[in-house]
Amino acid sequence: MKKWMVLVLLCSIFCLGFSADAFAGDKKLKAGFIYVGPVGDYGWSHAHDLGRQYAEKKFPWLETIFVESVGESDSARIIDRLIQQQKCDVVFTTSFGYMEETIAAGTRYPDKLFMHCSGFKRSANVGTYFGDLYQMYYLNGIMAGALTKTNKIGYVAAFPIPELVRHIDAFALGIKAANPAAKLNVKWIYAWYGPDKAKEAAEALIAEGCDALAFTEDTPAVVEVGQSHSEKGKQIYTFSHYSPMQPYGVDSVVSGQLMNWGGMYAEILESIHNKTWNNKDLWWLAREKAAILGGSETDMINPKFVKALKEAMLDTKDSGKISAYDLVVKRYEQMKQGVDIFDPFTGPISDNKGTLKIKAGEKASKGDLLGIMYYVDNVEGAIPN
Amino acid sequence: MIKIKTTDRYNITTLRSFMTNILSLFAALVVIGIIFLIAGVNPFYAISEIFSGSFGSFYGIKETITKAIPLILIGAGLTLAFRAKFWNIGAEGQMLMGAVFATWTGLTFGEALPSYIIVPLIFLAGFIGGGLWGIIPAILKIKYAINEVISTLMLNYICAEILTLLIVGPWKGKTRFGFPGTDNLPDSAILGLIPGSRIHYATLILAVICAIVLGVIIYKTRFGYEARVVGENPDAGRYAGINFLKTSLILMAISGGLAGVAGVGEVAGIHHHLGYPASISSGYGFTAIIVAWLAKLNPLYTIISGIFFAGILVGGDAIQISLGLPAATVEIVNGTLLIFLIMGDYFLNHKITLQFSFKH
Repeated sequence: MKKWMVLVLLCSIFCLGFSADAFAGDKKLKAGFIYVGPVGDYGWSHAHDLGRQYAEKKFPWLETIFVESVGESDSARIIDRLIQQQKCDVVFTTSFGYMEETIAAGTRYPDKLFMHCSGFKRSANVGTYFGDLYQMYYLNGIMAGALTKTNKIGYVAAFPIPELVRHIDAFALGIKAANPAAKLNVKWIYAWYGPDKAKEAAEALIAEGCDALAFTEDTPAVVEVGQSHSEKGKQIYTFSHYSPMQPYGVDSVVSGQLMNWGGMYAEILESIHNKTWNNKDLWWLAREKAAILGGSETDMINPKFVKALKEAMLDTKDSGKISAYDLVVKRYEQMKQGVDIFDPFTGPISDNKGTLKIKAGEKASKGDLLGIMYYVDNVEGAIPN
Repeated sequence: MIKIKTTDRYNITTLRSFMTNILSLFAALVVIGIIFLIAGVNPFYAISEIFSGSFGSFYGIKETITKAIPLILIGAGLTLAFRAKFWNIGAEGQMLMGAVFATWTGLTFGEALPSYIIVPLIFLAGFIGGGLWGIIPAILKIKYAINEVISTLMLNYICAEILTLLIVGPWKGKTRFGFPGTDNLPDSAILGLIPGSRIHYATLILAVICAIVLGVIIYKTRFGYEARVVGENPDAGRYAGINFLKTSLILMAISGGLAGVAGVGEVAGIHHHLGYPASISSGYGFTAIIVAWLAKLNPLYTIISGIFFAGILVGGDAIQISLGLPAATVEIVNGTLLIFLIMGDYFLNHKITLQFSFKH
């Protein structure tokens, strides 16, 4: 008995000791990407990975590597591995929860660069970048306000942090521009990736009488709920989030917001390659074509709802009577020209407790928007604390 | 017709037990190799990457030990509970409760106290927090006969919700700009690291000492004997006059307490502030169940099995990073290893014979 056991043991030691030759390094810039979800999540991580692939295809001098499904408590280890073992020159950490560890890694590796997505802490070799969609939420809000029959609109939201509150408020401001009588109801699910919870929340909102739903969660769950109700004859309007989700809800998705990280990653990596990089915060919106309106890759607005939107006439201060469709197109064009031309957060804006937050004629600063923690006046309820 | 007959095996030698583990490991690696082959990766290269990623490099060893610290602490505590057949599935919650108590202590008293006072204090607080969370199911079980598997498991979720409530509510830090999470602990309450690594040595030393001391408690003390009797032969225990409530309370206070200490290490050694449950623990409380089991419920061996399992987790990174396989592959590899190790255990304890009978 023992002889063959020893043989097996020797075999296994041999196998473990067997190591392939490390290939010789070349002079390419090596960038590592850390994602919080799986690249197949059809939301946040998926969009980042498309951006990574775009940059890698574009630049022959670039080599990229990614790690998916990295828990926040493991991020420091993965950063260390990308730097120490994979010899990355720059590491992109693409979740807010990685912020502390990214700053700490910047101190540990002063000769490497780090880019943290969605955070607010920077240092000499740690930069921040973000592509924000609040303008698109405003445009979707206009459409939701124009289409709703019940004047009750719902929002399925991930976590009560400023980014989400900003999106909820922008959506609400859009609703108000089209339909001052409509109210927005929010349900928090405390998950970025939680199709089961998102489904429940969407069903609950519909049961409460909402007939239009926007959301921030990384799966098409809300869209699917909207589609199943719409198929049964109860029209529910939904707004796709982050990835083109219209195929999941051809009878329900009106439009949505899409994020294109490709251009941003290309610009950041090019600046590193050209040695012009600095740690200035990058905040990309519609003007930089990071934020895109639409629920599919081809249609800005689902053709099924175009007629209804063209027939819905609204009153505006700057262009008089105008259809919801034309208003969306007009505002989108203005946003593409820059926040100076048009921004949803232009006063007067009051919170839902009656306090004036932005005075008439004033615009919210970027700092105000990054820290926003109040509901505007047509949102029901209070932010959980 | 073939009949499968199993009989219990007695007189299991240490060598036989050891060789069974090695063989199981080898069989698992063969199956894992086939999985890699199907995925189009050279299995020898893949497996060598996993082990060089965890034990074969300075970087890997550092990270393996960092991850082993909570696994050893929690695993050692669990061996005591499991010996008494108290199925504590709640170490995750006990660990988080330890982290909660330690954070409160550190934030409240840390500014005013020097390191040599506050550090022992936060460890003590963590032990108390985890221990208190551990004795709740013990009371429920002995007084009200409530199944501890259910109660410990459910208490995990309750603890995670309490923690979340604290960090989005009353404990939300001023330095977090509206984001959930407490402020960082004061410098005096932060554990020192071995330079160039993330190994918080105070917790590492504690983990090793705890594993050794628990070994002594289980095998050399009256309490350890009573705990084993409670598990192996409760009726005999009752005749012998063992106080089940007292024994269960003490062993769950220790088991939960050690999980709490692991939570202190993660907060004060690595994260420095309390965040969402998932940002404090990557499921250590559950992984440690396997660690305790691999150690054959001997706390001393949890030092080895803790390091081994930490190595597998850390080496799993290599599957993704070097081989470009999806993250789910790591879980397939870990799962396969476990299934084989547990199967090996079954074959170690049972003799399987096939009986052929021919009927006309």
